[in-house]
Amino acid sequence: MTGMIQGGWGVVWAVYGITWASLILYGISLHLRERAQ
Amino acid sequence: MKVRWETYLGAVGFLMLLGAHYVGLFVAPPEAMMGDVGRILYAHVPTAWIGLLTYLVSFIAAIGAMLTGKATWDAMVEASVEVGLLLNALLLIQGSLWGKETWGVYWTWDPRLTTCAIMVVAFGVVLALRKQIDEPARRLTISSVATIVAFVNVPIVYMSVKWWDGLHQNFSSPETVDSAMVTPLRAAAFAMLFLSTAFVVRRWRIALVQLTLEFDAPDLPDPSAPLAVED
Amino acid sequence: MKTTLDILYKDMLIEWRARSRTVALLSFAYTILLLFAFAIGPDSAALRQHAGAYLWLGLLLCSTLLLDRSMRVEFEAGAISKLLLVPVSAPGLFYGKAIANSVQLWLVGLISIPMVVVICDATLTEHWAWLVLTILLGGAGLAAPGTLYSAMIARLSGRQLLLPLMLFPLVVPVVVAAVKTTSLVMLGDPMNQAGSWLVLLGCFNLVYWSLCGVLFGRVVEA
Repeated sequence: MTGMIQGGWGVVWAVYGITWASLILYGISLHLRERAQ
Repeated sequence: MKVRWETYLGAVGFLMLLGAHYVGLFVAPPEAMMGDVGRILYAHVPTAWIGLLTYLVSFIAAIGAMLTGKATWDAMVEASVEVGLLLNALLLIQGSLWGKETWGVYWTWDPRLTTCAIMVVAFGVVLALRKQIDEPARRLTISSVATIVAFVNVPIVYMSVKWWDGLHQNFSSPETVDSAMVTPLRAAAFAMLFLSTAFVVRRWRIALVQLTLEFDAPDLPDPSAPLAVED
Repeated sequence: MKTTLDILYKDMLIEWRARSRTVALLSFAYTILLLFAFAIGPDSAALRQHAGAYLWLGLLLCSTLLLDRSMRVEFEAGAISKLLLVPVSAPGLFYGKAIANSVQLWLVGLISIPMVVVICDATLTEHWAWLVLTILLGGAGLAAPGTLYSAMIARLSGRQLLLPLMLFPLVVPVVVAAVKTTSLVMLGDPMNQAGSWLVLLGCFNLVYWSLCGVLFGRVVEA
């Protein structure tokens, strides 16, 4: 029984995508900022 | 080149998060009420927990900064507020998208979302103030006070909005989590903890270099004063 | 304690001597209410329903002007550093200024009540004393953090933009509680909720009047 809401994978990918993108980009920005010092 | 410990911690966190999200997306069962959309849980809930924890760190750092006046504490305020804001903003976006799917609206005056939205401004102001004030000692004091007040405000805002919202029953988010979902959730939470700690420590190092320079800058002599002449 | 009273007296004297500015502030509050009425349109039911919200939004906007002006007085010509040398105790200075700010907000708030009754056709179903109490607690709740924050940014050039930005997250509980109570007093309170909202306002005031008093000293040090 999958429950009341069917599908919705688009939103799931969007959320996970944004989450991962933000974390990775922030990590990269830290690396670059340290390089600049 | 020596690799510092937070890099290792960050890498571990990154890999753990990858694993936890993989399990959450493809292995764990769909949520009873929300179906597959409920899988957002594994990204959203850890972000919330660790975001709040990071703000707690900033609160403690602000108190330390006020008591000691040292650059180390000031740098930690800067680092933890910045990382906290990242997680806070992420939380708002995640919550908004999740809400659109489950409640049909991007926004609702739910106590958690509302408090979240207010926190972004309150802590964002701390960073804005830090940019505006050049004098290091004053900047330390002002940003610490702003951080302390912002953090104290969080439970008050939450309580008042909860009271205010109490008459309108929204869709409740899952409070009790099914056992098959607890493991990836816990793993994701620890992963985010490791990753955020790595971020905060690295950001702290960056801030410390800059702030130590500013705190230790020798007082420049008054250019109009006559130079001492040795006889 | 004596410091508080002295500062309070000084501020009230300054405001009395410049009472044209207070008139300008009241006109501002009046204008905001008019603007709300125009923006909502002639739908009198909507105006009546949300009269409490308009009153408090007007008061909130007035508070940013008032707080900025009140603190600027202290920082002109370095007055505050001389004041602290006298020595004036920093908490005393805070409480004196914060009470002075509260009094001015109360004045604007109390005068806003008849303005709102006229402009928004607001009713008063419960006893008006509740409304007065709301104005007192709400105004004080805005003044305490406002006084601290206006001192924090008094020397910054971007302060007129920064003060509302800093203040608004903080005063959300005050606005929520005050608007709720005001609406209940105006539109009816069948379940007697007004009391609990006023308790929330009271708690908020307790926390912020003590916290801000403690922090003020560090903020005004040179």
